[in-house]
Amino acid sequence: MSIVPDTVNERLSTTTGDSQLATHGALWLIISVLILPIALAAVYSTQTTNAVYQITNVFPGSALVENYTTVLFEYNFGQYMWNSFVMATVVIVGKLVFSLLAATALVYYDFRFQSLIFYAILFTLLMPLPVRIVPLYQLMADIGWLNSFAGLTSPFIASATAVFLFRQQFRSIPASVVETAKLDGIGPIQFLANVLIPMSKGMIAGVTAIMFISTWNAYLWPLVAIIDRTNQVAQVGLRYIQGTGAEGFVQWNLVMAAGILVLIPPLIVLLVARRYLLSTLGGGE
Amino acid sequence: MAEQHSRLQVFTSNWQAAALLLPTLALISVFLYYPFLETVQLSFYQLRVLGSGEWVGLQNYVQLFESGAYRNSLIVTILFTAATVTASLFLSLIISFLIHEANRFTDLYLVAAIWPYAMPLAVAGIVLDFLINPRIGVVTWAIEALTGFQFAWQTNGALALVAVIIAAVWQGLGYSIIFMTAAFNQVPDSITDAAKLDGIGRFQRLFRIYVPLISPVLVFLIVIQTIGAFFGGFALIDLMTSGGPSNATNVLMFNLYQDAFVNQRFGYASAQSVVLFGFVAVLMYVQLRVTDRYAYYGGA
Repeated sequence: MSIVPDTVNERLSTTTGDSQLATHGALWLIISVLILPIALAAVYSTQTTNAVYQITNVFPGSALVENYTTVLFEYNFGQYMWNSFVMATVVIVGKLVFSLLAATALVYYDFRFQSLIFYAILFTLLMPLPVRIVPLYQLMADIGWLNSFAGLTSPFIASATAVFLFRQQFRSIPASVVETAKLDGIGPIQFLANVLIPMSKGMIAGVTAIMFISTWNAYLWPLVAIIDRTNQVAQVGLRYIQGTGAEGFVQWNLVMAAGILVLIPPLIVLLVARRYLLSTLGGGE
Repeated sequence: MAEQHSRLQVFTSNWQAAALLLPTLALISVFLYYPFLETVQLSFYQLRVLGSGEWVGLQNYVQLFESGAYRNSLIVTILFTAATVTASLFLSLIISFLIHEANRFTDLYLVAAIWPYAMPLAVAGIVLDFLINPRIGVVTWAIEALTGFQFAWQTNGALALVAVIIAAVWQGLGYSIIFMTAAFNQVPDSITDAAKLDGIGRFQRLFRIYVPLISPVLVFLIVIQTIGAFFGGFALIDLMTSGGPSNATNVLMFNLYQDAFVNQRFGYASAQSVVLFGFVAVLMYVQLRVTDRYAYYGGA
């Protein structure tokens, strides 16, 4: 027996019922608009260069395999995507390892200037790439790292965000778990590997997904730091392929195919890791 | 912020703590603090070639504040940022609210609405560059066929700004929706039910009840999106407009890139970096004062 009078329940459900159709309709419309440009790009990526220049031709063409093969091999997107992938992997592994170590020191040790060091790490949030790009470029030139993976990845590996998130995560681990580990007398690396990491899997997955997306999508630094095209990443590769037809004839079908290729990896990461990504970003506190 | 370490302290060795912190501290010293401090120093020099220059005091800054081109960039950036943040937050609010209101398929809707978060700005830029191309773009064609309006953004500065704003809003929606959905989910059902019983219309409910309740998240998003728009439009501008026509989309970041890496005016560009630092510092300070959530999840 419900303690809520029937009339109230009726009123609640009818208000909901009336508006549900409108809600779903509006959502379908909005989502269609959000997806439409990518759907069109996918269609254009299957057309021949002649077809893509016929404005009203929005039907799949016959050049799907040809376009993607051309983009991957003749326009080197296979190479660029591989470079992006290596860059993202190096940055993510570096960020995870170093941030986990730093967060362990910040939470499970007690030493002088601990807070100061934490704030010194956090303060780097005020130093995004644009406020240090000129000297960074000079530094890379001086140590011979321009045009290399070392130069591409090293400015991104230290991460205030990851240190901050892992510190929060570690502090939320119950003291009883920590006490047990303390009694066992294990070392810090063992403690990290056997206790902290298993208890932080969701956070690690979320941080990994966020870092993959932001590193894969980086544009400005690769544009500046990489001169030799064979070492370039996929984002800047888009600039090359769009610029090939600067004489007034861009092969938009190939440009669209390249765009779709570059979009796929971060989209897969988002879909696969969405639960962790959502809880890492939106959850917490 | 009261820190309670004593209860958690497991290890005592100071050298171990130092060793664990060493990689992070070394990296932030070499790749963050050093270049940042060097930027401040370079901003007082005039250099044509990197590595050698002459001390010119505040000349770069004086030049910056007297420069009409820089003032134009500042105005363009403010317009771009204000429009992008306002449109993006308003649309995200509506979309998140609709997802929250829907009785079914909410997970599906959520994924279908947040995927642009994964989309590279460069992809948003080149896809729209073609679809709204004034000569051969199907969207421009459809707009003209339906309304007679010519969306000639490649030759009209104001329309060019509109074009990059559309791209930025599209790409930026997902991020805000993630946070707003999480915030909506924390609003107790009893409040929603009470509002429904009082017969309050749904948009009144959104703006009178939900918006005040989730205002900390909204402030966080306003700050983060403002910082993002200030620094983040670069790929769009580079691929769609190259700052044109007639500098109408030449945002501060693009101007800085051009001065540094095309015009080789490294000292002048460094002064621009320092000004940008001032903007981030103020925005971050505002955020710290208003919310305690200070992790920055954006680009770099």
